[in-house]
Amino acid sequence: MRFTPTAAGATGLAAILALSACAGATTSTGERVDGGTIVYAHQQEPFCVFGGWIEQAYLSYQVLDNLTSLDENHEVVPWLATEWSTSEDGLTWTFTLKDGVEFTDGSPLTAEVVAYNFDYWVSGGNSTALVWLQDYYASAEAIDELTVQINLSAPYPRLADNLTQGYFGIQSQVALETRTDEENCAAPIGSGAFIVDHWDRGEEIVLVRNDEYTSWPANAEHTGPAYVEEIVWRFVPDATTRVAALQSGEVDAIYDVPAVQWQTLDDAGYQLEKYVTPGRPQQLAFNTQVGPFTDVLVRQAFAYSLDRRAAVEAIGQGVIPYEGNGGVSQTTPGYSQAAADWYDYDPEKANALLDEAGWTERDADGFRTKDGERLHVVLPYGAGSIINADGAAILQGVKEQASQVGFDVELIPVPLSELVAGAYSQPAERDINVGYWTAVTAGILYINWRPSTEEAPNYSNGAFYNDEVLAQLIRDANSAADIDEQNALYIEAQDYIAERALSIGLYDRLSTLAVDTSLKGVWQEHAQGGPTFYDAYLTE
Amino acid sequence: MSQATPRPSRLRGVIRQILKQVGNSLIVLWGAATVAFFAQLLLPGDRATVILNIRAGQPQQRTADELAPIVNEFGLDRPVWVQYLDYLRGLVVGDFGTSYQQFRPVTAVIGEQLGATLILSVVAIAIAWVLMVVWITLTAGRGPRVGAVGTGVDVVAAGLPHYWLGIILLLVFALGLRWFPVIGGSEPIGLVLPALTLAIPLAGFMSQATRTEFERALDQPFVVTARMRGLSDLRVRLTHVLRHAVLPAVTLSGWALGATLSGAVVVETIFSRPGIGSVLVKAVDAHDLPVVVGIVTLVAVFYVLVNLLVDIAYLILDPRLKTS
Amino acid sequence: MTTVRSTPEASTLGRRLRRLPWTLVAALVFLGILAVAVIAPQALATHDPFALDYPASLRAPSAAHWFGTDESGRDLYSRVIWGARESVLIGLGAAAVGLAGAILLGSLAALGPRPVRATVDRFVEILFAFPALLLALLLVAIAGPSALTQIFAVGLGTAPGYARMVRGQILTAKDSGYVRAAVALGHSRSRIVRSHILPNALRPLVAIFALSVGQSIVWASSLSFLGLGVAPPASEWGALLDAGRSYIVQAGWLVVIPGLVIVALALTATTIGRHVQAGLERGEKS
Repeated sequence: MRFTPTAAGATGLAAILALSACAGATTSTGERVDGGTIVYAHQQEPFCVFGGWIEQAYLSYQVLDNLTSLDENHEVVPWLATEWSTSEDGLTWTFTLKDGVEFTDGSPLTAEVVAYNFDYWVSGGNSTALVWLQDYYASAEAIDELTVQINLSAPYPRLADNLTQGYFGIQSQVALETRTDEENCAAPIGSGAFIVDHWDRGEEIVLVRNDEYTSWPANAEHTGPAYVEEIVWRFVPDATTRVAALQSGEVDAIYDVPAVQWQTLDDAGYQLEKYVTPGRPQQLAFNTQVGPFTDVLVRQAFAYSLDRRAAVEAIGQGVIPYEGNGGVSQTTPGYSQAAADWYDYDPEKANALLDEAGWTERDADGFRTKDGERLHVVLPYGAGSIINADGAAILQGVKEQASQVGFDVELIPVPLSELVAGAYSQPAERDINVGYWTAVTAGILYINWRPSTEEAPNYSNGAFYNDEVLAQLIRDANSAADIDEQNALYIEAQDYIAERALSIGLYDRLSTLAVDTSLKGVWQEHAQGGPTFYDAYLTE
Repeated sequence: MSQATPRPSRLRGVIRQILKQVGNSLIVLWGAATVAFFAQLLLPGDRATVILNIRAGQPQQRTADELAPIVNEFGLDRPVWVQYLDYLRGLVVGDFGTSYQQFRPVTAVIGEQLGATLILSVVAIAIAWVLMVVWITLTAGRGPRVGAVGTGVDVVAAGLPHYWLGIILLLVFALGLRWFPVIGGSEPIGLVLPALTLAIPLAGFMSQATRTEFERALDQPFVVTARMRGLSDLRVRLTHVLRHAVLPAVTLSGWALGATLSGAVVVETIFSRPGIGSVLVKAVDAHDLPVVVGIVTLVAVFYVLVNLLVDIAYLILDPRLKTS
Repeated sequence: MTTVRSTPEASTLGRRLRRLPWTLVAALVFLGILAVAVIAPQALATHDPFALDYPASLRAPSAAHWFGTDESGRDLYSRVIWGARESVLIGLGAAAVGLAGAILLGSLAALGPRPVRATVDRFVEILFAFPALLLALLLVAIAGPSALTQIFAVGLGTAPGYARMVRGQILTAKDSGYVRAAVALGHSRSRIVRSHILPNALRPLVAIFALSVGQSIVWASSLSFLGLGVAPPASEWGALLDAGRSYIVQAGWLVVIPGLVIVALALTATTIGRHVQAGLERGEKS
């Protein structure tokens, strides 16, 4: 047996690892220690603390306060705003601010500052806040010192829900106006529980406690300043390293636990938190403007060719939930189960549909052809950013499964910065768009399906699908005053998407945390599942 | 090679040599900087749009108005040769431009990370020297059997790719036995595995270069003389033979620095260590060319400087020059 | 110069083979397996390298799966075999690009008119100031990751080192007795270069080429390992190793085995290169 030594070597290593993996989480008496430092290992390092990317929202959430917060029942509760109301016609929102709140540069929180922040977001300060507000936001004005009025161009009853996301953190107007872009990028000034102390790029951001903190959200578990003095927010891109660092006690908590390690950590007694983010799930949106997927039959064939559930359950190890719905994830209010169940694994149907669509010939490699052209589809994905290692493995399953009925899927891993620099953003450049977009309401559908026009291009419309019927459905849902009516319309929109196979779901995006038992009180905020350290404390 | 002829004034010769090397080095540096500059012009797409989109985090077509501040900041509207001259002038005063994605001068980005990588490189080279000297002293000139083992280990060590050796060390000593931290960080203990990862292949290379010289030197008359003076074998090997045999390894030092800096790219990624290597990989990923160019140019500077020092060291160490 | 003498009896050949060092024999055997893997992987592979078998994911090496399976239940042994073609072709391509560049630059630096020689010398010196992997990274930053970029990036990275060697070889050949003799005989310059200098100077390149292929595969797999090479699910060895990192704790074989294969290849290239070199040197001496 030529291969035995190798195998033995590998098994030997595995034995060493298995032995050491038995070392469990730190046991503690549970006595609270005052102060101390939490070392937290996160996956991705953003370019700036505040911005339109979820990795930025996670960070800025520690430093900035929002007007509103979402509690564990997904109810909107007060944060910087103590109360709010909507006018009869739904076009005017009035927020009353907490009194006596100061930013960490000493300037006070006033209605004027909040109005300034709204204008700042839509004028380029936050790209994601912009796409939520655009088409609805008209203006913001200070009524008095602590009352701010938001004027809308169309009713948006779920505005307060959306404002709970980290993209809507309120910054000091003085800081925004007087400091350089660089300073505001690296250390935005908010009124939050922590302050950015310094940033060692490539290694960590250190946050220190705001001792004067007065503006905790209504759903926090305690009042007053945070318990711990300092958070060392490390950037450790490799998931295995993060888990090992937690196990060896180098860090107290980690983000994004790989599915394959979940059970090990659970058995060892770590606190595991899993948050299925509402909003757009990890899904495949088909290019409806150029290429083979302009034909609905081909899109449906692709959907039928995939055993998505098998791939997700195998790679996801029971941790990552399968998601059939391409519109929104199962934790989103107004979720359509019918849309999720629209396409089951049915290769025969897929083959029949492809035959019907005219892709009848097969080439030497077994791929289908039509008029001498191969059924070749390009699937670029943000490797290591939008799609983690588990996701990449699932996509390889998609490629292989689709190849069984004759699709030649080309997977292209793309660095995040290349994506934002515009790679694969044009209809001619890709056939499938994969990706998620976290949200707290099904209002995300509007961002993803608003028709792109000359004056207002929509770069978030992954299917390049400019359809007024669908857009109007979503618009009606967005503005419907009654929740049930809203949900019914959102469901109709999801079914519309499923029926035409414009987008199919793959799996639900997760925010996961693993926390050592010596660290208590860490919870995931309910807008996007980021770690919240305000209530966290270390124990003996 | 012919024996160096006796010179009337050795000092003057050495100084002239050094000046010539400095001149050569300057030309090489200018060339390296030029190559690096023109490389960034080859980047596909409109540079201002790319920079703005990288910063904003959203792919969009941009209007001229939106691009104006970026064009202005980076001086992209000037003719290429003006930009080039400006870039060269910047280099002379230590200005490498501004990072596309970090809003900061490249020198600040590199400055923060350079220390960690240099420490790693220097420690790795030092460990490599120790490993090599011990291994050679133990195994060279000890008969064919020991020699074969010695050479075999040299070859295997030199052939180990950094990424694999690093992962195995991480797997066994950090993940498995828990002797070392998994995240390299800035603490000394975290330096051990990354430095060993770089040092082991380097030691292999240097041993290969040294072994032949060492064995040749063992047969030299002065060694025989030394033995006859009653010096112990170890003493002879360490004081007399080694001195003659390490010259090829010394000349490899410049290359070694380059190799460890290259290796740092991989090693810093595996051990989650800060340093210019991991910054470089991120910058390549991000098309942040000012940072890429800055780091590559800087490494070239180091290479040239170290080679200059090596040449000087060679002039001092070479026994033929001294005995003449 | 010597002519190769043919061995009349088979027994002599057998004795010579037996006298070969075991390292060389091992290297030749590995090379043979590799050649089959590149030309006809289906002859060696036991499974379809891409076939999913989710229930059999992350299995340790066994009789059914010699190298174990990956996260999708794919057979690692078959993936390594099929990956040989990509890895080796990238290595060969990069070595060819590197050597072609080296021969061009080296010959110019040794044989060109004086100003050309000086310029090329400097140019090589400049390229040499960039460590190979960094030069390769610079190219990837511009051209984006792909197999072709990998070939050119690695080739460009290794060219300056070899260019120096070529230049040295040519200069030595130029200085040799038979060239002087040819000059004395009044042969034309181009004829001397063509029939004496180049053949003699380029012969050692056979050995260098062998070394270079091994080196190039290691460099190229480094790029893949950094996520800057060929895309998954291609089973190029560096990419296999990179993909396996996610499962290093549960399935160490996904990292250990592809790594061993790369190391074996690098050693094979070194061993063969050295023996060719030694053979050439012996040939020159006798």
